[in-house]
Amino acid sequence: MNNKTKNIVVSSVFIAFLAFFAVMCVYSYFNPVETSTAERRPLAQFPDEITWGGIIDKTVIDEFEDYSVDQFPFREFFRSIKAKFQLNVLGLKENNGLATEDGYIVKIEQDFVDTNVNYSIGRLQNFYNKFLKDNGGDHYISLIPDKNYFLGIDYGYPSPDYAGLVDKVTEALPEMEYIDIFGSLELDDFYYTDTHWSQDKIGGVVDTLAGAMGFADRLSGNYTENKLDGFKGVYYGQSALRPDPDTLVYLTNDIINSCTVFDYEQNKTIGVYDLEKFGGSDGYDLFLSGTKPLLRIDNPNAEGDEVLVVFRDSYGSSITPLIAEAYKTVYVVDIRYIGEPTLTMYDKMNMIDFDGADVLFLYSALILNSNSFK
Amino acid sequence: MLFSSISFLFYFLAGLLAVYFILPFKIKVFKKKSGEYCYFEAKNFVLLIASLLFYFYGEPIYTILMVATVLVNYIAGLLIDKFRGTVGAKIALWASVIFSLGSLGFFKYSDFFITNINAVFRSEIKLLMIALPIGISFYTFQILSYTIDVYRGQAKVQKSFIRLATYVSLFPQLIAGPIVRYTTVEEELSERKHTFENFSYGVTRFVIGLSKKVLIADTLGGLSRALMASDDKSVAMYWLYAIAITIQLYFDFSGYSDMAIGLGRIFGFEFLENFNYPFISKRVAEFWRRWHMSLGSWFRDYVYIPLGGNRVSKLRWVFNTLAVWFLTGFWHGADWTFIFWGLMFAALLMMEKFFLDKLLSKIPAVFAHIYVIFMILISFVLFHANGMSGAIADIGSMFGAGGLPLWSKETGYYLSSYAFVLIFGIVGSTPIVKRTVLKIKEHKTGKLVIDILEPIFDIVMLLVVTAYFVDGSFSPFLYFRF
Repeated sequence: MNNKTKNIVVSSVFIAFLAFFAVMCVYSYFNPVETSTAERRPLAQFPDEITWGGIIDKTVIDEFEDYSVDQFPFREFFRSIKAKFQLNVLGLKENNGLATEDGYIVKIEQDFVDTNVNYSIGRLQNFYNKFLKDNGGDHYISLIPDKNYFLGIDYGYPSPDYAGLVDKVTEALPEMEYIDIFGSLELDDFYYTDTHWSQDKIGGVVDTLAGAMGFADRLSGNYTENKLDGFKGVYYGQSALRPDPDTLVYLTNDIINSCTVFDYEQNKTIGVYDLEKFGGSDGYDLFLSGTKPLLRIDNPNAEGDEVLVVFRDSYGSSITPLIAEAYKTVYVVDIRYIGEPTLTMYDKMNMIDFDGADVLFLYSALILNSNSFK
Repeated sequence: MLFSSISFLFYFLAGLLAVYFILPFKIKVFKKKSGEYCYFEAKNFVLLIASLLFYFYGEPIYTILMVATVLVNYIAGLLIDKFRGTVGAKIALWASVIFSLGSLGFFKYSDFFITNINAVFRSEIKLLMIALPIGISFYTFQILSYTIDVYRGQAKVQKSFIRLATYVSLFPQLIAGPIVRYTTVEEELSERKHTFENFSYGVTRFVIGLSKKVLIADTLGGLSRALMASDDKSVAMYWLYAIAITIQLYFDFSGYSDMAIGLGRIFGFEFLENFNYPFISKRVAEFWRRWHMSLGSWFRDYVYIPLGGNRVSKLRWVFNTLAVWFLTGFWHGADWTFIFWGLMFAALLMMEKFFLDKLLSKIPAVFAHIYVIFMILISFVLFHANGMSGAIADIGSMFGAGGLPLWSKETGYYLSSYAFVLIFGIVGSTPIVKRTVLKIKEHKTGKLVIDILEPIFDIVMLLVVTAYFVDGSFSPFLYFRF
């Protein structure tokens, strides 16, 4: 190839590359995508209004920049190229903060965000002091480590100060007995593509809680495993690596099947497991129908009259059905979605009764560290 | 607008190339009485409008300031030429210098001076909190090179406002250099060649620069941020940080220069090189002949030599050196860290001149090389630091101050995670790759392979950096703030 030919080829390839994607950008303008399923977020749209003021203060320009990135053609293809180049060619251990070890996709965090953690703990304190402190029951608190805890121990990754977090929580809520479940968990108790633990692998956690809270003798421990293939966890799309989907497992037995769940928000009875939710944006919402502010699980086969109040996040959704075996009634509260006034209202209407109930605060470090309590 | 963005590559550049190459260089407008034709320089006009749009996209309001600076200096140039040899020319020159440096001083240094006045006199003058116009340090020096060279008779006055405005606002080098002298592009403003050879060279150079910036500099930027945010710091981690920011700064700035040179070539301009493998230097003086060469030569020609250069007494030379390096540091930013950074180089240059040069000549070259790298690492930690107290803390930590352990778990993690990028950065900042390619091209088969690989390399790198744009976040160039 002589120089002239080479120069024409290089120039032509560059022009063709720019022209193709420029035309595709025009196509995207007329065919915008509303949301990214993989990233579970709405995509930026072309600026609604282009005004002189908006141009001068750069809001229009910033909106256009977001739009040009979000609506770029073949977005998922390019995200995949970037992830593979970063991990396989540059050799980095993370892409967008996500690392993969033994097939487990894990969000790497250097440390907890103090402002978020303090705010979350503050909200727990408020609820505790207002509704539970003097109810006459036994009070427990437990924290669930994220997968990054195990990568820190076993693979040398940075991980947040979990011991410091436990200290902070126990100092803020000294009346509650802390139950350490870290030792009852391992990395393979979690899903490969999701943040959550797998219900069939948390028997050890249930046993630890049962031992500390005194309900071990009220558990049957016999379950039927039900499997649903094609579970794409939250990291499935975020990683852009197209890993194999997980198989989601949920456990049933006669007692769980006989339980009824009352949804205060919708004022109706729902199931312990909502299989329709599995096909939605987050398959883990199958457990107790996902984000529900306040539920009451009634166990008609309970031998005693014990009542439990569980303050929980989505991890709690999957473990609560296993604990419910041991109680006649379990109140399930998610204070990310319910305010004190609403809970007070239910209390005044005698729709809830926490008197004498045992209390379990069960939260994942991931959620305490997020801003979802705000 | 950033070169490393979707909006630049697939909207601005794609559109500009289409319009620019469709139009002829000149269009006949009308015939004068003399029989000569009056031309409209279509390509220059398109470049000017595009460059103003490029700047407006990033700095809507300050576009007026840039146009005003061009206008003042355009008039100054005409007056200097008209009153050549008289005091009028000198007044016009000073007017140009005062206006240009005055704008730079006001927008860049006002709050620095107010802060220091408040500190010294315990006054409470309010800070102006003015946003720094992007690229003002670069285009101010460019326009001054024009008026000063016209005054000195080293450049012809430019009577076409469009040509002068095109020169100053030319988007490839407008906001982060290199500082292109007027004389470098004087002829190309009125006549330039557009060939496949230029276009092809420009494309590959642009792609190399873009890849250096996006894949290496930004990646190491992530490393340096992670290291500084770590709660598990160690002495080794601070050295890793020093290496990371040094390579990041080089790949960021030289990457930008590559892109500017490449884009310039696509549009028919030949800018001078701005970097020449500075990390292979064996003296600090040599380093500065290889690093940001356009700035070094600007200060040499417009400050150092007018002060007398080195053909003066030792004492005067010391003063000249201190003055130039004080200004070099201050040019980089309105903070004491930059001033001390500049003065640190002044001290090193004086030491080399007085005794170190002789000493370094007597020891194996590798030690001279280590000396330069050591000083550069320290200097860039100072350069990168958040204020003088931050600089002292960071540099102190490199030597174990504060009781830091020598090693930590996170140091090992980040070193292993970024090892390949660091190695690639170190190798890529030497001429090894370039020499290898040239060596291969000496053979007929080798040349054929390289020629075939070049467009493949370009397209693959463009796909990869586009992937980084699509998945990435905002990544401004470090030198934008200068």
